[in-house]
Amino acid sequence: MKKITSNWQTAFVTVIVIILAIYPMLGPSSYLKHLFILFFIWSVVANYWNLLNGYVGINSLGNIGFLAIGGYTSGILSLRFGLSPLITIPIGGLVTGLLVTLFLGFPALRLSGIYIALLTLIFADTLPSILTQTRDITGGGMGLHEIPPFFPGMEKVHAYYICFLFFLIAMLILYKVIHSKTGLAFVAMRDSESLANTLGINRYQERLKVFAISSFMTGIAGGFYVHSLGDISPTTLSIEPFLLGLAMIELGGIGTFYGPILGAGAIVFGNEFLRLAGTLRLALLGALICGVILFYPGGIMQLVEELGKRIKVMLNRKKVTE
Amino acid sequence: MESFINAIVSGLISGSLYAAMALGLTIIYGISRIFNFGHGVIALIGAYTAWIFVQNSKIADMSLLLGILVTIAFLFLLGFLLYRYAMNPLMKKPNWDISTVLFMLGLGILLENVILQIFGPRVKSIPVFKEGYIRIGVVQINWHEIIIIFIVIIAIILLNVFFKRTRIGQAMRAVAQSIPGAQVVGIDIEKIFSYTFGLAFVVTGISGILLGTKYYMNPHIGWEWMVKGFVIVSFGGLGSTNGAIYAAIILGVVEALATLFLGAMWVWPIWFAIFMVVLLIRPQGILGGRA
Amino acid sequence: MLKVDAINGYYADLHVIKDLSLRIEKREVVALFGPNGHGKSTLLKLLCGLQHPRSGSVYFNSEEITAYPAHKIVELGIAYIPEERNLFGDMTVMENLNLGAYNKRAHGSISQNLEFVFEVFPRLLERKNQLTSTLSGGESRMVAVARGLMSEPSLLMVDEPSIGLSPSLRNSVFEALAKINREKGITLLIVEQEIRDALSMANRVYMIKKGQILFEKPAAEVDIDEIEKAYF
Repeated sequence: MKKITSNWQTAFVTVIVIILAIYPMLGPSSYLKHLFILFFIWSVVANYWNLLNGYVGINSLGNIGFLAIGGYTSGILSLRFGLSPLITIPIGGLVTGLLVTLFLGFPALRLSGIYIALLTLIFADTLPSILTQTRDITGGGMGLHEIPPFFPGMEKVHAYYICFLFFLIAMLILYKVIHSKTGLAFVAMRDSESLANTLGINRYQERLKVFAISSFMTGIAGGFYVHSLGDISPTTLSIEPFLLGLAMIELGGIGTFYGPILGAGAIVFGNEFLRLAGTLRLALLGALICGVILFYPGGIMQLVEELGKRIKVMLNRKKVTE
Repeated sequence: MESFINAIVSGLISGSLYAAMALGLTIIYGISRIFNFGHGVIALIGAYTAWIFVQNSKIADMSLLLGILVTIAFLFLLGFLLYRYAMNPLMKKPNWDISTVLFMLGLGILLENVILQIFGPRVKSIPVFKEGYIRIGVVQINWHEIIIIFIVIIAIILLNVFFKRTRIGQAMRAVAQSIPGAQVVGIDIEKIFSYTFGLAFVVTGISGILLGTKYYMNPHIGWEWMVKGFVIVSFGGLGSTNGAIYAAIILGVVEALATLFLGAMWVWPIWFAIFMVVLLIRPQGILGGRA
Repeated sequence: MLKVDAINGYYADLHVIKDLSLRIEKREVVALFGPNGHGKSTLLKLLCGLQHPRSGSVYFNSEEITAYPAHKIVELGIAYIPEERNLFGDMTVMENLNLGAYNKRAHGSISQNLEFVFEVFPRLLERKNQLTSTLSGGESRMVAVARGLMSEPSLLMVDEPSIGLSPSLRNSVFEALAKINREKGITLLIVEQEIRDALSMANRVYMIKKGQILFEKPAAEVDIDEIEKAYF
């Protein structure tokens, strides 16, 4: 029975990937392509955030800061030094991974959960004031504009495919991380306290590794973000993107692989509808987060699972009657 | 020299305000182990509720007192009900620490934007208690600031008496020191947690009113207050009320001196640097709270 | 007085207590023996409401208390003294004792109970203004028992009262417990590793193994070898 469901899953995922691959050929508007680019990048950001909060139990609140560091680094290097994004994006990832692991990972991961939340939040909160003080390099409050695209003469459709490819690779890496020995050990620990001690892995070291992976990949995502969209400013670090990221994880289903992707989809496209609500948009997002946590903590994935069970029951019933 | 002394004095004044603001945070954490990530907006609700009563007057009068009383009643009820209907169900689940954090963040943003809808984005302030100032040597202090310090001191004394002398206050201390111990002596910990939220929200709301009289407020300022509160309670030791008071005063003075010698834009990086150093060297804070 | 009917209890995800039943009569002293990790402490936690059975029922004076929270059970007159003691370390001995009388049932008899507690544990009188975090192991144990007595219980459940104590202190704790039963008529349920001491004061014995009752006997009929054998 399990085999069948996983086959169904594979088939479903394959179909979705194929649809996403041929979608730009159907001639969607530039605006829709733009939204899909956002969706790809946000999926990566949300899911690597979820890797920390949902899988490993590191309560990070600073992942948008990681995104900004990666984006700024890559943006500055390509804009000011004329380097190709092909080089600057990985450098951005490395810089993010190093900075974050050094400043946050080493101290925070030795401490209990709440300190990690505090430290990462305060870290991300400090970045804007650093940006305004380094105006010559970072553009200060105005941010960076006209950041070079991935290659000269790039069109939206190219950016779409580049980000799509990045999305696929990032998800594949994430899948491998979650299903590695370390990843499975963390899942086991999350699900059963009594198992935690018997596994005999170096918890600190493994947490540090996962933290480094998450910040590195989020930094890379920052690079893809700036070279696709062409600008970045301190508003990236304001409350809204932070809230969007959290909402994606919670709404999709914290601690699941597909949840944050579904959440990113729902939020990126839903946020456009929410614009109709005007200034109440953020209030609605806040209410959404509260509501999901309180009443439906499994998010969309829980809904999918319950529907799946119901369908299974219906199929079985059919078999019996036959 | 003159400006140095004045900086110290103004540091002490903002320090006492920060102390008031951090107290609510540390009370909740010390007793319930919930870290209130909606702290800033609660202070803001206190400030705006009081503002309704004084919006048309130039100087604080009896209407502010009435406003404060209404704020106290309203925030107590809000805290009590919030624990009862939102925190309590979350506390019963295994990952309660992160779910309460995220819930309060979400609620904070929700309430912030409700405030924005009701009161608009423009900066507001609550009128001062008393105009004018006095001079002591080279030091010049506003009457208003003297009254603020006085209120903070009274509040701290009242809290101490409450925790030491009253039955509920003692039960709160008991819960803070040992939850199973409190349970076996027959303390209803859920009830105590609800009262704790009520009490802490009241303290936080009052601190918001004070901040609203000294500085200004807009719907977004709550986050700034909250993050400063985070640094203070970490520095003082999570869950330690005395630690929070000392830390607030120290940070208030450091902030004033940094502004004097380096400029205002360095204030925030310095707060962060202090926070990092504390976490690296002494994560339990100066007075050793609950790490 | 206490009737336990086929309860099942879990520690985290382990099935620790399996269909266990027992009963305790008024004024009895019941000793509960069994190897470590076989469910003794979990059983006490289930009876005092710190944990709840997933099935089965618990009756106290014919009132069903299975799902009652801990504070309600204390109010009915069941006191539980955990092995971990769980004292309020930043409070004085006196403050700890006063909190012992937190429930409404105990309010009326605070001064009487204090007098009795200091009579049983004179040492605590000397230490009454000291913070409990500064007390020795034996003194902490005394505070834990005394705090339990302050709640005016009719049934006192004590988990490993003698653990970590020197022989002379152990004796004084057992003497105190015997006195509590004799003079106050408080029913006792004692979980203990020091079989000889507990046996000498018990009326009846339950032997627990793998979460089930292995046997139940009047203390007079129990043979120590039989118990020690059951441990292995």
